[in-house]
Amino acid sequence: MLARVAAEFYWLGRYVERIEHTARLLRFQLDRLADRPADELTLGWQAVYRILGQPPVGKTASGDDAETVVMPDAYTLAGGLVEERANPDSLLSCWEHGRENGQRVRAQLPLPVWTCLNQGYLWIRDCDFSAAWSEAPAALVNEAIDRLRLFAGVVDAAMPRDEAWRFLELGRFIERVQHQSVLLASWVEFSREEHAANALSWADLLRVCGAYEVYCRRHSTNVDRTEALNLLTRDPELPRSLRFAVHRIEDLLTGIDPVGARYPLAPPHRMALRLTAAVEMGNNGGSDETDAGGFFRSLEDESRTLHHLTMAAYVTHSPPQGLAK
Amino acid sequence: MSQRRASEGGVFTDYDLDPNYYDEMFGTDGSARQACKRLNAALAELAPEDLTRLQEGVYRHFLHEGITFTVLDAERATEQIIPIDCVPRVLTGAEWEHIERGLKQRLTALNLFLKDVYHDGRCLRDKVVPIDLVLGCPQYRMEMRGLKVPHDVYVAVCGTDIVRTNDGFAVLEDNLRVPSGVSYMLACRNAIKDAFPRLYRAHRVREVADYAERLYSTLASLRPSLQDPQVAILTPGIHNSAYYEHAFLAGEMGIHLVEGQDLVLRDGALHMRTTAGLRRVDVLYRRIDDDYLDPVMFRGESVLGAAGLFHAYRTGNLVLANAPGTGVADDKSLYSYVPAIIRYFLGEEPVLANVETHLCREPDGLAYTLEHLEELVVKEVGGAGGYGMLVGPHASAEERATYAERVRADPANFISQPVLALSRAPCFVGGAIEPRHVDLRPFVLQGRDEQHVVPGGLCRVALRRGSLVVNSSQGGGCKDLWILED
Repeated sequence: MLARVAAEFYWLGRYVERIEHTARLLRFQLDRLADRPADELTLGWQAVYRILGQPPVGKTASGDDAETVVMPDAYTLAGGLVEERANPDSLLSCWEHGRENGQRVRAQLPLPVWTCLNQGYLWIRDCDFSAAWSEAPAALVNEAIDRLRLFAGVVDAAMPRDEAWRFLELGRFIERVQHQSVLLASWVEFSREEHAANALSWADLLRVCGAYEVYCRRHSTNVDRTEALNLLTRDPELPRSLRFAVHRIEDLLTGIDPVGARYPLAPPHRMALRLTAAVEMGNNGGSDETDAGGFFRSLEDESRTLHHLTMAAYVTHSPPQGLAK
Repeated sequence: MSQRRASEGGVFTDYDLDPNYYDEMFGTDGSARQACKRLNAALAELAPEDLTRLQEGVYRHFLHEGITFTVLDAERATEQIIPIDCVPRVLTGAEWEHIERGLKQRLTALNLFLKDVYHDGRCLRDKVVPIDLVLGCPQYRMEMRGLKVPHDVYVAVCGTDIVRTNDGFAVLEDNLRVPSGVSYMLACRNAIKDAFPRLYRAHRVREVADYAERLYSTLASLRPSLQDPQVAILTPGIHNSAYYEHAFLAGEMGIHLVEGQDLVLRDGALHMRTTAGLRRVDVLYRRIDDDYLDPVMFRGESVLGAAGLFHAYRTGNLVLANAPGTGVADDKSLYSYVPAIIRYFLGEEPVLANVETHLCREPDGLAYTLEHLEELVVKEVGGAGGYGMLVGPHASAEERATYAERVRADPANFISQPVLALSRAPCFVGGAIEPRHVDLRPFVLQGRDEQHVVPGGLCRVALRRGSLVVNSSQGGGCKDLWILED
């Protein structure tokens, strides 16, 4: 497979995952708009923007409230994450980039997959956002998520499990590890801040990750921090757990590496094994709060290194540096 | 000018015939031609709403599949859906046999001509074609002089524009460099088959679906020494107007679609960068102009091609389709010499006629053009896409005067032709079927041992009432072309 084409598939996977991550966070916040107090909503928006690594829309107040961001109305904030072309991580921008990646590999992309991706893009491009915000804002985000699920289903049904598919999936799961690490690190950090801890519960975190129902079935409706973090970090079956994602990455790299799982392993493969070990054995702060945020931040760093190693090994063919560092 | 209604009732209510134009569906007496009777009857039974629904279905199909072309302006590249008319154009097997014979003859002669002008130059010495016209043509590549081209196939893929008037079929233009449009022909066929499955089956239409397979065989045949040559398509990228076609063909043939950045020269051969390292390329179906192929040999600033590509070609490590320098044979000035070229190289009379053409590089041609500007279409010899031309009857006096200045300043850059009475075919426009002018671009494949004319083609339509410009970039659309089995 052409190295450039592999990179296009990889980035397509990353953009699709990025859209879903942003949409999940937005849905969480938009669902709260109807019944939560204003200060909780403000904290919620700050959290959403912080998790996404973006500066919030609005300006910083001065004086005693120097740390407080004056938030504009909810739909301006949501709009910044959905329709803002100047924001490279908005849903519209990501869909546009992902579609462009798909367009560059149309020759390798099964028609149903391309059509589904293109239809999703046309939908968001032609969306009447002002009507959506005034009528049913959550419906817009829900539709985005539904379209992503449809895309994932079509990919699953129509793509052969070849190199193209592996790079697409690899992009998705590396992006997922990166986002989940940031999400968990941020939530652990919020839990240390008294005012934020009240507004953002552990149950909320599970809901964002689509894991609340699973948690309730396994434990109880009374959500415990340790169990929640363990589920989201180490559960081998939950699609949005870190362990699930790093195992997928390992499998995919085994398929991509020309020598398979034989030693010496390619640098990305070695890095993936290290990441798996860290997720399985590291201190996720479930029972010990001392350095939980640091643990997830280190996973985020390692997932970035994995990205660079993957690009160096299969796309740019440059000498690996990440592991040495 | 007398006008008659062609059919009573239904969607044909407002269909007017004009004897100045050959009508593809109706004879001069207003009744449907034999080959079109079934189609005419089926369409006449449909309500406008039915056709609107079908037309919208075809539009949606194209939109969702992203069957688009890109229009570039100074600001940005815009993707557009090529407008598809859902009423097919029908040609009989006998009509097609005539066209097919003419196309094969023409391409054979043009390949011989290209070999000659890059080697012995017999036809230049014998004054069949003026030597200054060939050597002065910007598309004549000195780099190709004396170069052995595999199997003497300079043009492996050709798209020839054909028009029909009351006098019959005639060639308007040869496209010998990177002819495009074949993917729209195939997409159109699929859409129309979906829209009229029974009607299509009843007509026994000749199939075009094996085009990609035949194209692959043609390209692979140019490298017969290898059992399984690595064939790839070179595209300028997603912003090129024909990118959809490049991706479509690569997908259909199951070959790599490469960009310049994917290619690198190693050990005198062209390679592509893959996830597992470098892989050699044996045959490159290039869809970029000569100028951009190789920054070392041609335009130094090009980032679309690959440095050293021409070296690999020259040393026989790579086959290029089409060969560089083929543009000299589809230059609009040279066009008027093609009948003489056919006679010279094949000793035959041309099967397909040319359109009357006046070369402004010749004093008589220039004088005639300037005197009859109101009646003529004037074109730049290297122009394409309907840009940069003057349609005399539709231009204002001021536009004609300005254009005349340009022609006087550089006569060799212009040719003129009479305004052609292009045939008209029924099109569904604005809720009714109306006649619109059409042309036709069939595609010819030339392999090592055989020629193949695709039994169909891109039928382009000038969708604006009265317009003769069929280019998609200027309001044109396309429709399916049905070649019937005899």
